[in-house]
Amino acid sequence: MILLQSPSRFLLQILQDRVLSGEKGMDIDCHAVEFDDVRYHIQLLLGAEAAFYPNFSMRNPKVMVLSVALPLPSPEAILCDGLPLDAIEAIKAAYGPVVQILDPPKDGFDLTMKINLTKLPPDEEQRNSILTQIASVREVVLGAPLKVLLKHLASKTVAPNVDKLVALVHRPNESFFLAPQADKVTIVYPMRFQDSIDIVLATSFLQEFVEARRTAALNNVPSCMWSPVPPLELKGVPAEALNANSGFVTFVVYPRHVEGKKLDRTVWNLLTFHAYVSYHVKCSEGFMHTRMRRRVESLIQALDRAKSDAEKLKKLVNGGSFKRLVCTLCK
Amino acid sequence: MDATARPAIVIDNGTGYSKLGFSGNSEPSFTLPTVVAVNESFLDQKELLSSANWIAQYNAGVMADLDYFIGDEALSRLRSSGLYTSRSPIRHGQVDDWDTMERFWQQCIFNYLRCNPEEHYFLLTDSPVGTPESRECTGEIMFETFNVPGLYISVQSVLSLSAGYAYLKSISDEDSDPSSDMTGVVVDIGDGAPHIVPVVNGYVIGSSIKSFPFSGSNVTQFVSQLLQERGELLPPEDSLDISRKVKEMYCYTCSDIVKEFKKHDKKPDKYVKHWSAIKPKTGVPYTIDIGYERFLGPEIFFNPEIYSADFSTPLPELIDSCVQSAPIDTRRALYKNIVLSGGSTMFKDFHKRLQSDIKKIVDDRVAATNARHRVEVRPIEVNVVAHPIQSYAVWFGGSVAASTPEFYEYCHTKEEYEEHGASICRTSPVFKGMY
Repeated sequence: MILLQSPSRFLLQILQDRVLSGEKGMDIDCHAVEFDDVRYHIQLLLGAEAAFYPNFSMRNPKVMVLSVALPLPSPEAILCDGLPLDAIEAIKAAYGPVVQILDPPKDGFDLTMKINLTKLPPDEEQRNSILTQIASVREVVLGAPLKVLLKHLASKTVAPNVDKLVALVHRPNESFFLAPQADKVTIVYPMRFQDSIDIVLATSFLQEFVEARRTAALNNVPSCMWSPVPPLELKGVPAEALNANSGFVTFVVYPRHVEGKKLDRTVWNLLTFHAYVSYHVKCSEGFMHTRMRRRVESLIQALDRAKSDAEKLKKLVNGGSFKRLVCTLCK
Repeated sequence: MDATARPAIVIDNGTGYSKLGFSGNSEPSFTLPTVVAVNESFLDQKELLSSANWIAQYNAGVMADLDYFIGDEALSRLRSSGLYTSRSPIRHGQVDDWDTMERFWQQCIFNYLRCNPEEHYFLLTDSPVGTPESRECTGEIMFETFNVPGLYISVQSVLSLSAGYAYLKSISDEDSDPSSDMTGVVVDIGDGAPHIVPVVNGYVIGSSIKSFPFSGSNVTQFVSQLLQERGELLPPEDSLDISRKVKEMYCYTCSDIVKEFKKHDKKPDKYVKHWSAIKPKTGVPYTIDIGYERFLGPEIFFNPEIYSADFSTPLPELIDSCVQSAPIDTRRALYKNIVLSGGSTMFKDFHKRLQSDIKKIVDDRVAATNARHRVEVRPIEVNVVAHPIQSYAVWFGGSVAASTPEFYEYCHTKEEYEEHGASICRTSPVFKGMY
């Protein structure tokens, strides 16, 4: 796996296996936490508990409710009603009649949706695609403002808030910044890591990342820069938003990167850039450990070969050492 | 948000299947075969290669390093392409390939649970006969590679026992007898190494642990052997896979093997099942009959001599000798609570057969004592507890344990690890009982 996938496996599995298998009399109540503190709570309610929800019918007394909690926003990010801008519209556009937003959301969550299982399309392929969409709720909600901006870029129209720096929620208490212009969007990520080893690895990973961008095969990808100090685009941003310990990564996205079908992938990849780096940092640590373990094994082998024959002979047939045998005999 | 405010991650790595999920849930989010399909092309490259070649080597190596799959994906990749090699990190209940295990965990965490390991406490499980070194290795990988804030390595049997208690409590409203809390014999038969572990007041009696040499994979082998000996036309490349499915779907435990043979002979249309599939290589459809295998498969636990000449002690006898070797004041409580755990205890009526067989041994002994000493000994209560969550009892116990607030105090934390090193994971507190 090189890139993270957009639909959450956990939600997808529950939606596909449990709901459609038509298992009766089983209620589901599961919660899960994803990277960057996105929390899910999915419930399949039966009978009396379900009656509290709107459009409840006795004929089909099953209600599926999905709640999502988003990462804690940093002060500079703009929200409306606790959700990123345009998120409600994005949900409505993506799911249509299948999903109904409940207001107010459940305690401790930012968004609660009721999934109308009866309104799922009967065709299996269509149904699967809408379930996959529901499982990618994270992309739909968190990516909504980014998608709007990039859509403006794709159509080369000027967004209403052009030339103004936009901060978007990325991780708990952290945001990344967009500087939209008519012909390009500059995206800046302040990179922060907790562990000291992670900081070093991430820094060198990012430098290599920029280096890799320069190879001939990747001429058409968004240009990418890394710098240890905040780039000029971030002028006027409060200082506490700029204390990155692994430097700043800047991408410049042009209209050709967000044409047609590429838009969704671009949104998701930009949204999870930090998770992507952190995943690869962990992978490189794992890889190094594998190498280290292998090296130790080969060194031990070398040591074993270097042992003199006399030492080897001291081992008796029954596995006990010669020394211990002498001790017991002396007693 | 502090890591203790998030649910802990509970991973139970079994020989056959791994169960992973978040604490507080009532079932694991994912159950995956513990298999890794690795692309080993990067291993073959010698370090002697000239340095001019390094970019090619580097690219191939880096990509191949990330090019692996786990679980069901691994199985389908292995079938469809010859590029991958199959690796099982756990053998006979113990990890024997740490590289593969590390990768397996990596995918579990990043691809399946999709969480950041730095943000969650972890609860992992270890077999009751696991070595301190293997726990040390686990701790090293978890703290060094994944930077987890806290780790607890629990013993599987204790978790199964607490799962049994939690289940009993959930079905009956009144509290169970508090004096018998966390005392019982755990019969853990999974795909790997089966163990019989006596637990008293939450502490494992290490000296009385018994192991049984045959596990779920042996049942599978036996079923496939029986099918082949009778001349059923199994495609050889799939025989184990089909036998496993036959075992999971049709096998059951009988109370008397001779009567069962007669039943099958009298009404073959009722008892003989059929299995139809298509041969993967040639695409020809075939059908096989499933007859005596249905009850003979699980019979290896009660009459092991039908499978192998090396070992002939039946499971009930082994459980009895396990309890007999435990301290004398705990034996009645142990007989009273025999808990099943692991997928291979899921055969229909397995617990009934086990209960009646153990009961017979115990009653015979009581009768002999009464006759010899002319006394009247109070009869011993034998109780085999079965519950519908046996196949993931260990995980469920872990989920219950990790959702208590005390869990975070018992964990080894990253600070402790950095202060003392991996040796903090060597010992498990459940072995530090008085026995």
